[in-house]
Amino acid sequence: MMPSRDGDYGRGYLMYTPDGRLLQVEYASEAVKYGSPVVAIRGKDFAVMVARTKEPDPLLDSVEKIHMIDENIGAAGAGFTGDIHLLIDQARVETQRHRLVFEEPMDVKSVVNHLGKFMYEFTRYGGVRPLGAALIVVGSDIVGKHLYTLDPRGLILSGKAMAIGRNSEDATEVLRADYKPDLTIKDAIDLAMKALSKAEESSSPVEVGIAYGTTFRKMGLEEANKFADAPQ
Amino acid sequence: MTTIVALKCVDGVVLASDRRATKGGMIGSKDAKKIYPIDEKKAVAIAGQLSDANYLINLIKAEAKLISFDRGFPLTVKEVAKMLSNLQYSGMRSYAPYIAEMLVAGIDETGSQVFEADVSGAVTEEDYASSGSGSPMAYGVLEATYHVGISTKEGAEIAAKAVKSAMERDPGSGNGIQVLTITKDGSVLTDIGGVQQ
Repeated sequence: MMPSRDGDYGRGYLMYTPDGRLLQVEYASEAVKYGSPVVAIRGKDFAVMVARTKEPDPLLDSVEKIHMIDENIGAAGAGFTGDIHLLIDQARVETQRHRLVFEEPMDVKSVVNHLGKFMYEFTRYGGVRPLGAALIVVGSDIVGKHLYTLDPRGLILSGKAMAIGRNSEDATEVLRADYKPDLTIKDAIDLAMKALSKAEESSSPVEVGIAYGTTFRKMGLEEANKFADAPQ
Repeated sequence: MTTIVALKCVDGVVLASDRRATKGGMIGSKDAKKIYPIDEKKAVAIAGQLSDANYLINLIKAEAKLISFDRGFPLTVKEVAKMLSNLQYSGMRSYAPYIAEMLVAGIDETGSQVFEADVSGAVTEEDYASSGSGSPMAYGVLEATYHVGISTKEGAEIAAKAVKSAMERDPGSGNGIQVLTITKDGSVLTDIGGVQQ
């Protein structure tokens, strides 16, 4: 086998390079940068996320980008679709397991902790491939409204406005410039759309996920704007 | 044996118990502890096999602590009751039941709550509940005096009276009363009668 640029550290088994890096995990993070972007914003009594579905094809039905996890939680990923679906499925099973035990919806932080641990495990063993996916999780629970991101390292971040996927740095720049703590739902959707458009020029249909009250709801942009006028 | 009661009040909850532990026909202990705090805002009163109840409570206390570290806020009263009853249900289903009935009471975001969890793993939410051999007598007092909207101060008096009545007529209950009041300001444990006084 021809030695690669990084010796053999970048191939096969998950091992440290002599300077203390895990290249397989870094490559997984690279894969996320090819995924279509997702932008999310948390306000006082709500949290929203926006993402574009794939370019419409007359031969294909549309593919969903924002996924329901449970009545109160939703998530959208960037990266390999299969890896995203594995995470979505993990989260769905875990929320239902929680309902079986407690007869209550699961809190968002516990779901995210579970997913973080799940992703982290793939960075600890040889012979497995770290998941090439990042996730934005938005939800509502008895504590309040939440916004989290997860990356292939298993890193969990909680925040007020975040983006993942292609050109997420550009989207984050827009969020950093225009975010205000007293945003209304309408403001938040507009700002998220502005940030999303900065990251990706596209005319594909937009999906919006809104955590409001005790539920998480998924809708199109038009419906979301209507919802923002009279939230209920 | 035993008499325990738990009441839901507007500003918190009240749990009360007698202090007698029996060994067959003999009094095994005159200052048995039957009310156990789970955290600052929740407590469980127990009736039945002391060893089983202690095992379950230790397990739930550890579990509750781990979960609240993980997610950053404590268990709700219902979650504590459900966790207890899940253990009891699996015990019953595997022909090795935990011989313990428990009253779970406390306050959380949704207010004050009382749950009853029995040997079969059934959980019910109640305004007031009693368990143990003295419960028929205690219920007599509770039915006559409890009403929705009482304060913990009134609740503590009613709970003590209910346990006292049971102690008068139930040979399995006696040796003083312990009352635990939980409000948003914290919890207060009061002893009435018994070997300590």
